[in-house]
Amino acid sequence: MINLTIDGVPVTVPQGTLLVEAAKTINQEIPIYCYHTKLGPAGLCRICMVEIEGMPKLQIACNTPAADGMVVHTCGERVEEARAVVLELFLVNHPLDCPICDKGGECDLQDYAMAYARGTSDVADPKLSKPKAVDLGPTIVLDEERCIVCQRCVRFDDIIADEQQLVVKERGARDIIATASGRPYRHNFTGNVTELCPVGALTSRTYRFKSRPWDLNRTKTTCTQCSVGCQQFADVRYGTLLRTMLVEDDPISDGWLCDRGRYNVGFYESPDRLTQPLYRKSGSFTQIGWDDAIILWAEAIRHAIAARGPASVGAIGGGRLTNEEAFALQHVFRALGVANLDWRAGLQRQATPGARGASLSAVDGAEVIVVAGEPPAERAPVFWLRLRKAALRNRARIVHARNADAAREAVRDATRVALIWDGVDPAIGKGYVQALSGVPELATFITGEQSNARGAEAMGMLPHSGPGYVPVPAGRDANAMFDAARAGEMAMLAILGANPVRNAADPEAVARALEHTPFVVVSELFMTDTAALATLVLPAKGAFEKYGTTTNLAGDLLPNNASLQAPDVALSDLEMLSALAEQLGAPLPAMGEIESAVIANVANPPRDFTLGDDRFADASTAISTGTSTSLSTGPNARRASKILSGGGTWLHDPWLARMREEVS
Amino acid sequence: MPVTKVLTAGIGEADLRDIGVYRERGGYKQWERAVRELRPSDVLELAEKSGLRGRGGAAFPTGKKWSFLPADKYPRYLICNCDEAEPGTFKDHMLLEEAPHLVLEGMLLGAYGIACHHAYIYIRGEFKRGYEIFSTALDEARRAGLFGSKIFGSDYDLDITVQRGAGAYICGEETGLINSLEGKRGEPRLKPPFPAVEGLYGMPTVVNNVETLAYLVPILERGSEWFSAAGTERSKGYKIVSVSGHVRNPGNYEMPLGTTVREIIDIAGGLRPGRTFMAVQPGGGSSACIFDEHLDWPYDYESMTKAGSMLGSGGFVVFDDTTDFVNAAYNLVRFFAHESCGQCTPCREGSSWMERVLERLVHHRGIPGDYDMLLRVSRSITGLNLCALGDSIEPFLKSVMLRFPDAFKSRIAETVAR
Repeated sequence: MINLTIDGVPVTVPQGTLLVEAAKTINQEIPIYCYHTKLGPAGLCRICMVEIEGMPKLQIACNTPAADGMVVHTCGERVEEARAVVLELFLVNHPLDCPICDKGGECDLQDYAMAYARGTSDVADPKLSKPKAVDLGPTIVLDEERCIVCQRCVRFDDIIADEQQLVVKERGARDIIATASGRPYRHNFTGNVTELCPVGALTSRTYRFKSRPWDLNRTKTTCTQCSVGCQQFADVRYGTLLRTMLVEDDPISDGWLCDRGRYNVGFYESPDRLTQPLYRKSGSFTQIGWDDAIILWAEAIRHAIAARGPASVGAIGGGRLTNEEAFALQHVFRALGVANLDWRAGLQRQATPGARGASLSAVDGAEVIVVAGEPPAERAPVFWLRLRKAALRNRARIVHARNADAAREAVRDATRVALIWDGVDPAIGKGYVQALSGVPELATFITGEQSNARGAEAMGMLPHSGPGYVPVPAGRDANAMFDAARAGEMAMLAILGANPVRNAADPEAVARALEHTPFVVVSELFMTDTAALATLVLPAKGAFEKYGTTTNLAGDLLPNNASLQAPDVALSDLEMLSALAEQLGAPLPAMGEIESAVIANVANPPRDFTLGDDRFADASTAISTGTSTSLSTGPNARRASKILSGGGTWLHDPWLARMREEVS
Repeated sequence: MPVTKVLTAGIGEADLRDIGVYRERGGYKQWERAVRELRPSDVLELAEKSGLRGRGGAAFPTGKKWSFLPADKYPRYLICNCDEAEPGTFKDHMLLEEAPHLVLEGMLLGAYGIACHHAYIYIRGEFKRGYEIFSTALDEARRAGLFGSKIFGSDYDLDITVQRGAGAYICGEETGLINSLEGKRGEPRLKPPFPAVEGLYGMPTVVNNVETLAYLVPILERGSEWFSAAGTERSKGYKIVSVSGHVRNPGNYEMPLGTTVREIIDIAGGLRPGRTFMAVQPGGGSSACIFDEHLDWPYDYESMTKAGSMLGSGGFVVFDDTTDFVNAAYNLVRFFAHESCGQCTPCREGSSWMERVLERLVHHRGIPGDYDMLLRVSRSITGLNLCALGDSIEPFLKSVMLRFPDAFKSRIAETVAR
């Protein structure tokens, strides 16, 4: 440990700590622009000058490591003079358009100029003019005049995103930020540069000229666009979601957001949202009230069980619901003796890694990272960023192994290995785990199609196990339910927060299954392909409109906090299920009991299975093997989605529509 | 006259570009002797004892610079800095074009001295002719087996790569040069780490000026005592001085360090008839002017520093009474503003701001406050920058503004009078 003095206060920090970080330990602010904790020092802005006794010149705090006995002054005449000079120089060519700048109110240039600059300027000459409102790409608009060339964006692109698209062009005061190729700036993490930018140069297309930061209501919640579960801030003004922002110290996301999590949220405002329950009567939908809708649903269940038994009833969903909703869903139906429960409405068969599961941070120290199945780049983008970090910073090898033998070869002599699987083909999961079974420290992860897939499994939305993975007499899984439905064996299907007609391996087979089922209930935000085939469509709340918890791919229990009002009479799935349970005469447990159950079931991940366990294997033959499930060549190729086409809601997202227009 | 031809010997008399002519005059003998008879440490010792200091501007002792290389980190590289772009300096340009084999032999000796196996020469983009001449010389030397693998039957391998710049002053700064050589944008790096520890491709690297390396040849030939016998107490040896400006015979003149400023002007033919001496910029565009009172001062590193300037790269610019110092200052500041890489704030913004103000003064549109503002801004940006470029703006401007304030203030008064 190093002992030094900063502004008269003794400070003890580990060897190698930079002065800028050491000062933070005593809450002494040293202004910074180009330095960033995650990007490291660059030494460009020259604002972080400090005085060190024994050194004739001022030193930059961002590249000076603390040394024993060092006496540092972060204020005083010389330091303040240097700061004032640097700020004065920043403002020589800066347009000073704070009144119309999105960053005004949360701008480091504005804040430091207020705190440290002289109030007046000697500049009598016209400012250099540079391009304004430059379309850098689909997501980002750049104002070159506001740019202070701190190169945070350039360095993010280089060392964090590993894209190397952004560069500084021109020279001296004519410096501009641009893409090296001149082509649009686009990759999966572009939005982060708007938050790294200390001034108003890089702005999100979706947020330009929309609001002032002090007018926003901020809610911290969990992103539900994929199974990673990044924490994010939802910034809302007058009931409208205007932007989502990263959470700097979040251990899940490592303080980054992907563009899907950041920008694929405009759908909440879509005029296409379902706002009333719809009941199909002689071929077309009619709006009905909630009371009628719940009674119809309850009657359909009662009738089906009375006439054809509980095996003719099934419920699908949970992967996109909260833990509480998934728990309630299985609770309501299991109480009626229904065993046909499954969350797996798409290609993924398994979401819980079981015995070899690990926390996200386990990949940080991995020597080899084996990727099996679809790579996490689009499926779990921020997790992918973490893998890249392990590769770039810790020299981990990322291996896209062609088969289990190749994987075994790749990990020879490695002690710490992470295996990333897409959860689709159990044979692959099983084969790779067996191949890697000799590795001393093997951490396995399953990147899910749905944000709460693992939570749904923990809550018992599986045909073979109840809450906490407790084995139960097996019912039909989702594909088997569809098989049975096509054979006319199903009387009632409830599909909550899932769109199998779009996402299953064989969408046409699912559509035929729904057409052959007398009563299909679908809860949705939009009139999806599945909802269009339903008997009863229930308008649901989105994740930003309800409270609850979600479980990410590593088993972290994460909060879901409401920041928006749902349109009209949309209800959360939990509210619907609660009403249904009342109507059926078997009310749900009290909310506190559900919450306790959720915590207990997520807290103890199972140890008795691993990737590709037989119990997750598909009981159906027709759907899973009837057609090819290859993502690249099969009928699902169209679903190997690019990030800005987002989840199932992308068709309805005006933000994304605008971005796509900008690109084309 | 103290002109002493060491590196410049034979230039203008024989065609030193011809390898045969160069060898007849004793060329490559020292290189052969070094490989056959000396250890790298012997070459380093000779360089150290001779008192040779970097001729590119910083005047850092050459042997000491080499000794900073960590002993256990390989490969290491030598880079010959031929990006000569300092305003008023044109000595490397001449050596490259007139004595390419001498430059190459100096590089070979330097590379051997630090025991590296790959050396680079970074040639300024504008020196197209020099590049062609040097490349031809390099091919001749390679064919003659003077470098490559198993040189002179020894175990020592050495390869040389020529890289052309694209014409950026900042690529003469050693870390800017290294970035450019690596194919990156020519921007100085943040130090530490210094190139001796982490330079080209992250490996230990020595960057030496052309003239510095070339002096290794006569030092090996005649011994370190011969070299250190010339010059002054701490400024040993010889130096090529590029004399330009208001003299009758501008050009490169080689002389022992310590020759007086007045003697140098006389060597270059003195002032034009009827003209009065005003100032001399003794060390290239980055140096402050010295005046009448310094005419009899010795031209060496210490004296020039004491005079408030520096010897720098030896670009010696003489100004007589026909000089418009406002225009001269504008010319230089515009150069620095144009060549600023733009990485760090004080240099980027300060230089372009001062350029605009000086441009107004040149066009007789000064406004009250300009004079103090120029002095204040040029002073305050000095010492805040990432590299030395930003600190190079103040010296000349300040020295002439303080010496000839009326030249500047009259431009402001004129505007006010209008």
